[in-house]
Amino acid sequence: MLFIALWGVTVIAQNKQVLYGMHEIPQNLMLNPGTKISQKRHYGIPLLSQVHFNLGMSGVSVYDIFGKSDTDINTRIRNKIFELSDKDFFTSTQQLDLINFGWLAKNKLYFSGGIYEEFDFILYFPRDLAILAWEGNRDYLDYEFDLSQVSTTGDLMTVYHFGVNKQITKKLTAGIRAKIYSSMFSYKSTNNSGTFVTRLGDENSENIYEHRLENVNVSVETSGYASLRDVDQASLVTSEVLKRAFFGGNLGVGIDIGATYDITNELAASASVLDFGAIFHTKDVESYRVRSNYTLDGIELIFPPLVDGQGTLPYYDDLEDEVEREVPIDTLNSSYTQLRPMKVNASLGYSFGAPTDGGTDCNCYDMSGGLSRNQAVGLQYYSIFRPKGPQMAGTLFYYRRLFDFLSAKATYTIDSYSSSNVGLGMVVDFGKFNFYVAADNLLSYGNLAKAKSVSLQLGFNIKIARE
Amino acid sequence: MKKNLTIPSLGILLILLLAACVKDTDFEQADNITLRPTVELDLIYFDLSASDFFDSNTSNQILTVSDTTELRFLSDGEIQDGLKRAEFYFKFTNSIQRSFTADFQFLSEQNDTTYAVQTSVSQGTIANPVITEFIENVEGNAIADLTMASKVVVSVTIPSSDANLTGSLNLKSKTTYYTEFQ
Repeated sequence: MLFIALWGVTVIAQNKQVLYGMHEIPQNLMLNPGTKISQKRHYGIPLLSQVHFNLGMSGVSVYDIFGKSDTDINTRIRNKIFELSDKDFFTSTQQLDLINFGWLAKNKLYFSGGIYEEFDFILYFPRDLAILAWEGNRDYLDYEFDLSQVSTTGDLMTVYHFGVNKQITKKLTAGIRAKIYSSMFSYKSTNNSGTFVTRLGDENSENIYEHRLENVNVSVETSGYASLRDVDQASLVTSEVLKRAFFGGNLGVGIDIGATYDITNELAASASVLDFGAIFHTKDVESYRVRSNYTLDGIELIFPPLVDGQGTLPYYDDLEDEVEREVPIDTLNSSYTQLRPMKVNASLGYSFGAPTDGGTDCNCYDMSGGLSRNQAVGLQYYSIFRPKGPQMAGTLFYYRRLFDFLSAKATYTIDSYSSSNVGLGMVVDFGKFNFYVAADNLLSYGNLAKAKSVSLQLGFNIKIARE
Repeated sequence: MKKNLTIPSLGILLILLLAACVKDTDFEQADNITLRPTVELDLIYFDLSASDFFDSNTSNQILTVSDTTELRFLSDGEIQDGLKRAEFYFKFTNSIQRSFTADFQFLSEQNDTTYAVQTSVSQGTIANPVITEFIENVEGNAIADLTMASKVVVSVTIPSSDANLTGSLNLKSKTTYYTEFQ
């Protein structure tokens, strides 16, 4: 019940900095296919091997707007609109592992695969349009409202993946994972351009103002939407979308690659690139595009001599027709390719403390170059490629193996959301049963309303250790 | 040492997760959120010449010319609810040696007059066109009348005219719409 309660309010960036590098968690393979692996086999508990939610906002928190305050909420909203920039964003990600499994084959390759569902959404703050909606244009004559600030994408998909991991030398472990994406629903509106401006006309102008759309090129691409538009029953929509989860949607391919390298006995580096790939939207594609240069002057009356019983000209209809002609919304059905938001992880860690394998200097079990010590400190880097450039995060971590069955990791992260993000995670092995939980932005848990992003990941696995 | 760390870290994590809450917030404030955009928008414009007021074929004066246009957005439901004040600005430039009366009659779909504005325009000359500005501020109960209208009849009346009258009467106009949307 605790977890269910948390799902509602918990938020996570796609950055899983607490989980990254925790070898005890089988799903660490999803963050770095070239991670070190300690188990012989793992089976994720279906639907529970990884649960991941995200809702992040840069520059604004729920408390900023809805906090109890003597200041009028409208004043607070207005202040925020002006404080935020068009680089600020709202993002939401959610992943749910349906199946996850892996095994060590006789040839020392660790194979792993599974299916997960992913929802991903980002909306950049369209500052100029927010100002226009909030304030109107009266105080913004000659100000060019920038339509290129409109930038948003949304995706719902199922991902089928299969990967292989191998310890290549004593020092180097590498892995690769192939992914097939089955997109259930997708839209994007990026690379828009153009401005809207109201200029005070001069003597030669037709009217007082010139309301101008200048070099406007705005488009929205959708896939999986057109066929749902006319389905009004919620249950039909659900069943149609679910059909697409099983290869019925628009397909894409991608890979994850990664490696871990023991530089010395104490120092280890790792890196991974995730979701390097694209989805090819060819079915059920509908795009809308507006391209325009248009000036609105109002309605010109020409006072035609009126013949009895005959009305004057239909100025208003003509104006509407003119706008439709000059600012046409084209509907296109051309296919498009969408790059996946690629993620990069890297880390450098220094191990120290007691050896974790009985106090010898030789780790006779896994024969890897680095010794397994019970503590480590290090740095991690994370970035995700978004429509307006990469979003990055840097993390300091401290890892400690407290018992044979319990490890914990603490992180301090600086990212787009905040510079005071403390995270904590732990993984427990009770016999074959593996459980992990990780949360970040712990300092905000006292009041989630003040958090710009908070996270919780958890999962259950059956894990069979190497003999 | 190990034990000392385990219990606190487990404890901290559990306490934090259990204690996670949203407080000091009041989401009912959402009901008070009000957008108040003030929109500047061109209205109508025209250019009448002196000859429009005299029929050279019949040598008759035409003392009043009029034209009508729909302004359907005025009676739109959103505007009826959201419009709090409208300020019309009319700018006449007259180079005809006559003064004029200009009437703006706002009509409902059934052609009932719901709101009317009248102003006079000073006379000018071709060498010295005269600008007459006029502002009509509509607020309070009058907004309900204005937003029942879906068209406007513009009538321009000249006291007298003849074949030798020259010059032109130009109108530019705009409206400032003060709105509130909840």
